[in-house]
Amino acid sequence: MKVGKRIAWIAVLVACGLGRVAMAAETATPEEVISKVRAAASFLHNKGTSGYADFNNRDSNWVWKDSYVFVYDCRQDRMIAHPMRPDLVGKPIMQITDNSGKYIFKELCKAGNQAHGGWVEYAWSKPGAGALSRKISYALAADISFASGIQVSAGVYDELMTIPQLDAVLKKMSDPSRYQAL
Amino acid sequence: MAEQKLGNPAVVGLAGFGLTTMILQFHNVGWMGLGPVIWLGLIFGGLAQMIAGLQEMKTGNNFGYCAFTAYGCFWLALTLLLIGNHYDIYTSSKTDIGWFLVAWTAFTAILWVGSMRIHGALALTFTLLLIGFILLDLAHFGYPALTVIAGYELMATAAMAWYIMAHIIYADVFGRDILPVGKPWIN
Repeated sequence: MKVGKRIAWIAVLVACGLGRVAMAAETATPEEVISKVRAAASFLHNKGTSGYADFNNRDSNWVWKDSYVFVYDCRQDRMIAHPMRPDLVGKPIMQITDNSGKYIFKELCKAGNQAHGGWVEYAWSKPGAGALSRKISYALAADISFASGIQVSAGVYDELMTIPQLDAVLKKMSDPSRYQAL
Repeated sequence: MAEQKLGNPAVVGLAGFGLTTMILQFHNVGWMGLGPVIWLGLIFGGLAQMIAGLQEMKTGNNFGYCAFTAYGCFWLALTLLLIGNHYDIYTSSKTDIGWFLVAWTAFTAILWVGSMRIHGALALTFTLLLIGFILLDLAHFGYPALTVIAGYELMATAAMAWYIMAHIIYADVFGRDILPVGKPWIN
């Protein structure tokens, strides 16, 4: 009986633990977002415009957990690739606002033009969820020949993280002694 | 029998060079997409300028022969390179394109010296072109923001090429030199 009880407790704990892991596996972390966005910028540097199509594919590596990388042109005001919203691809972006009236892409373009990129908070629908969630996206300029103004971005869906906290993560990951520089 | 008058191939070469250089800069500063740059680059900057260059051979003008043929080939190569990049054929990274431009910068520097012996307007055109190439080189090696500055700078280059084109055409149709091109910088 005692052994059985113990096994039952272990089973419960294991189940809870697995549940937590499963929950965590579904939420992208800020570190993952920064790594993916940097990898996307580097990919576009190497592939040029032929790389754009990859970002429209939901089955690519650019879509992971609850996040995804999207590509846009700040100079020509155009969505280049978006795996979740094919309706936005090729359309103007600067007039897009969230429910608080924030011009999302104007802010993203401003943040992405900083040396190491930057974070922007806004409301956007989470993949698989209908309602709007708080999203904080990391934007970074992509270096493509004869195409200035291209940026890549991905975000975390989180209610609590603050921009200063995320800036600290970015600063840590921009330290060449700890992380390899782009 | 009077000798038949021949046209100067340079007017087509300068027209193609100027127009495609101009339209690429409209793209580089963000006014328009890449589509027209590709097709005009292939036909006018590429094919027409290259043919004009080949026609320069019979005029005995080695500078024009080399410059127009070479920049015609530059346009054909650049547009095919961009098409290749779009369709994932022999994809060139930004660094690869940077080195492509560095080679063209070195080539331009050689012609730039020669241009100074021809006339002031051509010397100025090649000075602006050389600066534009250097700015594009830097834009490909760590200073992407320079693409836009190179864009405006190369618009001036294209305008200068058209000025020389207009100089030749107006001298012909008006029967006198309307647009002076100035003395050579090196005598």
